[in-house]
Amino acid sequence: MTLKIALTKGRTEKQVLPLLQAAGINCDPIVNKGRQLIFNDDPDYHFILAKGPDVLTYLNRGAMDIGIVGSDILVEQQNPQYDMLDLNTGRCRFVLASTPDFDPSQTKRKIIATKYPLITQTYFEQIGEDVEIIKIEGSVELAPLVGLADAIVDIVETGTTLRENNLKVYAELQAVSTHLVVNRLALKQKRAAIYQLIAQLQKAQKSEV
Amino acid sequence: MSNKTLPTGTRDEFGTIAMVKDQVIQTIQQNFKHRGFKKIITPLLEYRDVFQSLAPQAYQPYQFIDEHGDTLVLRPDMTLPVARMMSATGIDTPIKWYYSGDVFRVKKRMSGSYNQITQAGMEIIGYRSLKAEWECLVAASEISQKLGIADMTLELSHAKFVPNVLAALPISAPMADNLVQALYDKDLTQYQALLEPLVNDPFYPFLKDWPWLFGDFDAVLDQLTQLPKIATLESIIADLRATKAFISQRFPNVTVTLDLCVQPPQTYYTGMVFHAYSQDATSYLFSGGRYDKLLTNFQQTAQPAVGLAFDIDAIVAQRHLPKAPQETLIYFEADQWAHAEALQARTPNSNLCLADSFKQAQQIAQQQNAQLINLAER
Repeated sequence: MTLKIALTKGRTEKQVLPLLQAAGINCDPIVNKGRQLIFNDDPDYHFILAKGPDVLTYLNRGAMDIGIVGSDILVEQQNPQYDMLDLNTGRCRFVLASTPDFDPSQTKRKIIATKYPLITQTYFEQIGEDVEIIKIEGSVELAPLVGLADAIVDIVETGTTLRENNLKVYAELQAVSTHLVVNRLALKQKRAAIYQLIAQLQKAQKSEV
Repeated sequence: MSNKTLPTGTRDEFGTIAMVKDQVIQTIQQNFKHRGFKKIITPLLEYRDVFQSLAPQAYQPYQFIDEHGDTLVLRPDMTLPVARMMSATGIDTPIKWYYSGDVFRVKKRMSGSYNQITQAGMEIIGYRSLKAEWECLVAASEISQKLGIADMTLELSHAKFVPNVLAALPISAPMADNLVQALYDKDLTQYQALLEPLVNDPFYPFLKDWPWLFGDFDAVLDQLTQLPKIATLESIIADLRATKAFISQRFPNVTVTLDLCVQPPQTYYTGMVFHAYSQDATSYLFSGGRYDKLLTNFQQTAQPAVGLAFDIDAIVAQRHLPKAPQETLIYFEADQWAHAEALQARTPNSNLCLADSFKQAQQIAQQQNAQLINLAER
């Protein structure tokens, strides 16, 4: 029985492929993909490469059985499918960051720029603050530098981009990593194949430790 | 906004799809009617409070404010309005209802999902016996056969199985809450971390595999041998076994599976829960179960109830749509009306051509690639 897997392309893809290969899945066609986006040659596993939020759209519509996607996307998109396994790759974290003169304790309704409005809103609700959120699609670091926002909430892996843009971390929010998500009905229809995949992945994870 | 565009999440249905959908609804309703069920029609608009027992994240409704400031919704569910009606009218039980209609659930914009979903279903109110579940399942299996669904899998579960196991576990209430949430979410990473303190517990061999306690009926029951004896589970398992045996004997083509780790669809479920799907489906064909406390949302006294609903749109989406047959147009003079109607009644896929001249009728027939019968020349 073929499992149809939507893999988030880019950084997530590169960091998770070694784990998939260690779990016995032949990922050579993806490694040497060129511009190809769909890989149907393996009778056991069909892959597509898609952007993170689109992985969930394919999964929610039942077009794919399994998604491999960052937990940032799962939280922000309010994933309704089964988030079954933390693959522990693509690890990074959400931070609140701004210019060195930013004062988090300043009593004003702060303006926060982010690609992740839901995660940002939830964080500030938890600390009892109401903020104005500006949704930015990319290069969020620019917002406090040009005066669009007081601070940003964004994902940081090493912190290099923040440092190079003279931005400072003021708070650590939640951790992010790549997860394996399974369509609820596909889990019933393809139980044996999904069980085997997860067992192989968990075995590969243990041998990596 | 435009006077030509539809709101997000809605669609027009016409032609072959609309005809097939109508046939599916008729097939379902005829079955319930032949079983002696009574028809119920409830309004599209209800007060929001009718649906307060629904999990809000599951069904976001369309909401309006009426002239008194009360919140109305387009119904997101068909069962709660039946319960509301039963509690308000004092209708004698037992009673069996059938219904069809649309429910409205706001989904994420531009995700390919529709916000208006057609359901057809039934409610049996007033019977505590397992026979109520069986009539539900027999009717649903018969309907599935009539609809030509060849590879139906019927999944049985029970709303009380997980709570009864949890009650027997030697863990604190907060830990039980976390464990059951991880179990229901199938979050294996979190679930396995929570189990670590229980590695030496007699329940551990069962608990470690609990998130996988679904699938082949007998294989799932075999896994239960690892579970220390819990008296409250005996009648649950006996009912599930009896139901499996009954359905398998009546409908050998239906595959019956078991899921003993799934979250009930709503908090008001109290007993057996059932879902059905085919191997290629992307949605369940029907879902239902027992909810003996449903009416307590509206009145003091409980009433036993069992029901299920077919997802008409999911069924239509899986059907092979027939090619539209060639139409026949019947052209006639006004004084030939009775003759034309008689001919139309015995000619398949025909309709009366209402053109004023034969030339006009020819143009219409050509445009529609239809055959044309000219009664005027006879």
